Amino acid sequence: MSKGPSRIAEFIKKALFIDFVKGLSITLKYNVSRSITLKYPDEEKWVPDRRFRGQHTLNKDENGRELCVACELCAKVCPTKCITVIPMEDDTGRGIADRVAKVWKVELARCMFCGYCEDACPTRAVRLGRDYELACLDLSCTTREKDELLKPQSIPETIQGGFVVRSKFERTPEGIRVVPDLRMQKKRNI
Amino acid sequence: MPDLATLLEILIIVVKVSVISGILFSLPLPLTWIERKVAGHIQVRLGPWRVGPHGVLQPFADMVKLLIKEDIVPDRADKFLFKLAPLLSMIPAFLVFVAIPFGEKFAIPFVGKEITLYLSDMNVGILYILAIGGLGIYGMILGGWASNSKYSLLGGLRSSAQMISYEISMSFAAIGVVMLTNSLNLLEMVRSQSGSFLDWNIFYLPVGPVWFVIFIIAALAEINRIPFDLPEDEGTLAAGFHTEYSGMRFSFFMLAEYVAMVTISVLTVIMFFGGWNPPLDISIFHLVPSIFWFLGKVILFIYFFMWLRFTLPRYRYDQLMTIGWKVLIPLSLVNILVTGLMII
Repeated sequence: MSKGPSRIAEFIKKALFIDFVKGLSITLKYNVSRSITLKYPDEEKWVPDRRFRGQHTLNKDENGRELCVACELCAKVCPTKCITVIPMEDDTGRGIADRVAKVWKVELARCMFCGYCEDACPTRAVRLGRDYELACLDLSCTTREKDELLKPQSIPETIQGGFVVRSKFERTPEGIRVVPDLRMQKKRNI
Repeated sequence: MPDLATLLEILIIVVKVSVISGILFSLPLPLTWIERKVAGHIQVRLGPWRVGPHGVLQPFADMVKLLIKEDIVPDRADKFLFKLAPLLSMIPAFLVFVAIPFGEKFAIPFVGKEITLYLSDMNVGILYILAIGGLGIYGMILGGWASNSKYSLLGGLRSSAQMISYEISMSFAAIGVVMLTNSLNLLEMVRSQSGSFLDWNIFYLPVGPVWFVIFIIAALAEINRIPFDLPEDEGTLAAGFHTEYSGMRFSFFMLAEYVAMVTISVLTVIMFFGGWNPPLDISIFHLVPSIFWFLGKVILFIYFFMWLRFTLPRYRYDQLMTIGWKVLIPLSLVNILVTGLMII
């Protein structure tokens, strides 16, 4: 004997379009549900979680000294060899040690954001930040130098992340930027 | 020299014709927008959003794009037929509206003149609509053939086979309704369904719902909408019979398709859902002008077709033929028998 509904039950199911009605009800449910598309970037923007791995950032300590001691462990451990570190002596108090990085640059075109560099870093100087808008029109943006990375992150460390906020246009001398309005937190988790 | 009354009649007819054709020509604008919005929301996305509030100006942008797009005629195509085909599929779609009533009468306020909300009170209205509506297939076949492309030709052939198979069951469904209402006249059909919703043909148990299902399946196949849009099956035929068309000529096909969808919605409402009769015969419903009941029902059906489109997958071609010949036609023959017995 075959399992499942009998032939008569199946015929009734077909004749009354039960399956069609089921499918239609599902699509109708979706029709009135909230869509998951973001109005990115000018109306809604996603703030990543803290564990998100975006563009690198070089941290400073609370006295404003560079944490990086140019030990080159990050460059060593990097699977794609995208980090270049050249150390130098500097006893003016720029860094926490006399050894600071003369050059610390990362080629984002090769970086695969694995996070090995932040794992390897003994002073917690290098972190993968939360900037994910890395596109540009030429190759100029693929290399990030030290002074760019030392700037504070666009999203402060205190913000938890993992939600969507409203964003707004901001006119700067360089052009129009879209910045997330971090004060207005929309409780919409992604 | 004709007298004033005759001139006024002519003027009214001219105004009615231009209003109807104006509405029909501008129909794709709201319909494409609604269709894309429905598609978006069913697929849990937003649909058009950027151009205007909620993207309402998107169809205008599309219109500009279609108007200024390069109009390509393939090199070895049959130029004359290639250019004729979009018109051949568009004109019948428009001609159908000569016979379609949108309501009984409408009194113009402050003038005391009553105008009829139809162009002609044809006593063979349903026959005329089925006959003229079927002519649109010439555009598809000729367009597919004249393009000198294998995909287009296959699309045209498919659409002709599909049209022949489903025109039969659609006409049978129409015959069923004619049997129920005793008239080929669309106005009579609506008049016979006046009263509450239980008087509508779809509630003429047990045959009403069956006629409705037969009609709606056949009509979907007739107007080439998913799940029966095999003439333009993009998975296997690129874009089907209009693969080689671009710009305005392509939009004529699109226009014809949308107008056909509206025609089918209108016919469904007239034949099965009581036309412009309100669902309940109570005075508060009669305060609303009947044209609003009619348009509301038509809009519901247009929405239903869009909803269906984004729910069901496309049928295989042999399945399409099986449904047409082995299910719908025998079923409608049996149903004619049952309807006849019930009437006796």
